[in-house]
Amino acid sequence: MSTSAISIQNLSKDFSVPFRRDAVRAVKNLSLEIPPGEVYGLLGPNGSGKSTTMKILLGLVSPTAGSTSVFGINSTLVGSRENVGFLPENPYFYKYLTGLETLLFFGKLCGLAGTPLKHKAHHLLETVGLADAHDRRLGGYSKGMLQRIGLAQALIGDPRLLVLDEPTAGVDPAGSHDIRDLILQFKAQGITVLLCSHLLNQVQEICDRIGIMHQGALVAEGRISDLINPPNQTQLVLENASPALLAALAKQTVEAGARVVGEHKPHADLERFFLKITGGKH
Amino acid sequence: MSAAPQHSVFSLRRVSALAHNTLLELVRLKVFYFLLLFALLVIGCSIFTVKFSFQNPLQVLKDVGLGSMSIFSWLLGLLCTANLLPKDQEDRTLYTILAKPVSRFEYLLGKLSGVFLLLTLSTLMMSAVFAGVLGLREQQEIAEITQTTAPEQLPKALEAVRAAAFQLNLIPGILLILLKALLCSTLTLLLSTVATSSVFTILTSVVIYLIGHVQSIAREAWLSGTGQISAVTKVLSAAVALVFPDLQLFNVVDEIAVGTALPLPLFLQIAGFGAFYILVYFLLAQVFFSSREL
Repeated sequence: MSTSAISIQNLSKDFSVPFRRDAVRAVKNLSLEIPPGEVYGLLGPNGSGKSTTMKILLGLVSPTAGSTSVFGINSTLVGSRENVGFLPENPYFYKYLTGLETLLFFGKLCGLAGTPLKHKAHHLLETVGLADAHDRRLGGYSKGMLQRIGLAQALIGDPRLLVLDEPTAGVDPAGSHDIRDLILQFKAQGITVLLCSHLLNQVQEICDRIGIMHQGALVAEGRISDLINPPNQTQLVLENASPALLAALAKQTVEAGARVVGEHKPHADLERFFLKITGGKH
Repeated sequence: MSAAPQHSVFSLRRVSALAHNTLLELVRLKVFYFLLLFALLVIGCSIFTVKFSFQNPLQVLKDVGLGSMSIFSWLLGLLCTANLLPKDQEDRTLYTILAKPVSRFEYLLGKLSGVFLLLTLSTLMMSAVFAGVLGLREQQEIAEITQTTAPEQLPKALEAVRAAAFQLNLIPGILLILLKALLCSTLTLLLSTVATSSVFTILTSVVIYLIGHVQSIAREAWLSGTGQISAVTKVLSAAVALVFPDLQLFNVVDEIAVGTALPLPLFLQIAGFGAFYILVYFLLAQVFFSSREL
């Protein structure tokens, strides 16, 4: 059996509050296994414990109880981060660095150097669509561009696990669509992705499994289809169906002992509509 | 996909990347403009002493130059260091960096090394300005004396001018000024690992700087008093002496400025004292920073 990309065992985290005897429990007895190559969506309202869980995984915060590991290495050890690329929510990088300098800096932190690092940095700038802006300082980047350079820096060390906190926050629909495609590309390359997002449609499109946190606890977990689709219902979408055909189908359905639960026009996807109208360009 | 590379506990490459980036940050924030004030001050002093001073103008220039270097390098170190950690945390760049295989020790060492590089560069630049202005004044003095002094008194007068100008014995003094600035920067870094705001860090660092300059005087006054010295006083003065560095030691620079040569053992003793406090403060900063929840 292969080692889990992420393993969280009975994790709890308390934060002490000044002038209060009781601590606030941000994460309650959380257990989670994410196998390699999976795109996992960690969902939950603000304050549900997602960010704290991520910070513990990245060694930024120490757990009060329980343990977390990344590819079998305890995440309190710096060595566990050899496998991880992280994109924080609303990333701010050093504004005085150019896009290329940013990647070279983070590359050096990952142990890269010289020509291989330069090649890698240029390749990633191409991948995230910032090749033309490589010599511009980040102070002049738009929010979407910052998000893209954030993705590139997360990838510079060839991570096996990507932790993405709201990767499309504040990005326009076309940029958001591109980032979604990139995540699917990472998945195809076998990279495990832990995604925190409030954009549920996007999560539904790209995640294999999700976990929903509420008040520090994991309240639901599993494949999206298993969680949201009623097991005994089937959806049939017809084109150019006449009222007579629909009436005949309804009659036949009742005769067969089944039930028509609802009849409505299929929901149009606003994002697809937007991209169609704007030609999918930035 | 490639397997994870072997992680080395300490990497000089990571530390130098952080140090270089910190230096670049400070340079691109144009902190060197601050040094223009120093240049203006020294040049202004040079012009002022010609017209108004009754003392040896070169001596006044040396006193002002070394004194200004001491104040400017301390201020530069204080202001640059106080904001390093809070800014990285506020901008979340700290998270992005520590999410890489970078230990908190490497991060802290890299940041401090960047400040040390900046202070060393700025001390070099200030020394160059100082030596340049002093050299020009020396030439002016020599030209003036050659015209106004009787030939038999000229060699002695020239020797007096050269003795008051920039000489190699000033270098230990400049090194001690740099060391004092490094020590105060490390102290500021230590404070910023426990403080919740840059204002608190800066104010506390200034207060400790002042205590560091008066603690030896206060200690002597207490301990040399004629009355009975209580145990509490003794413990308190010992604690103050131990926790706060005796910055008065670095004031040997004043002696150097008037031409007194600093004996090598004394220089090494003061340098060793400074290095010891830098090490202790840095290790304490690491202890606090490693246990900090980010």
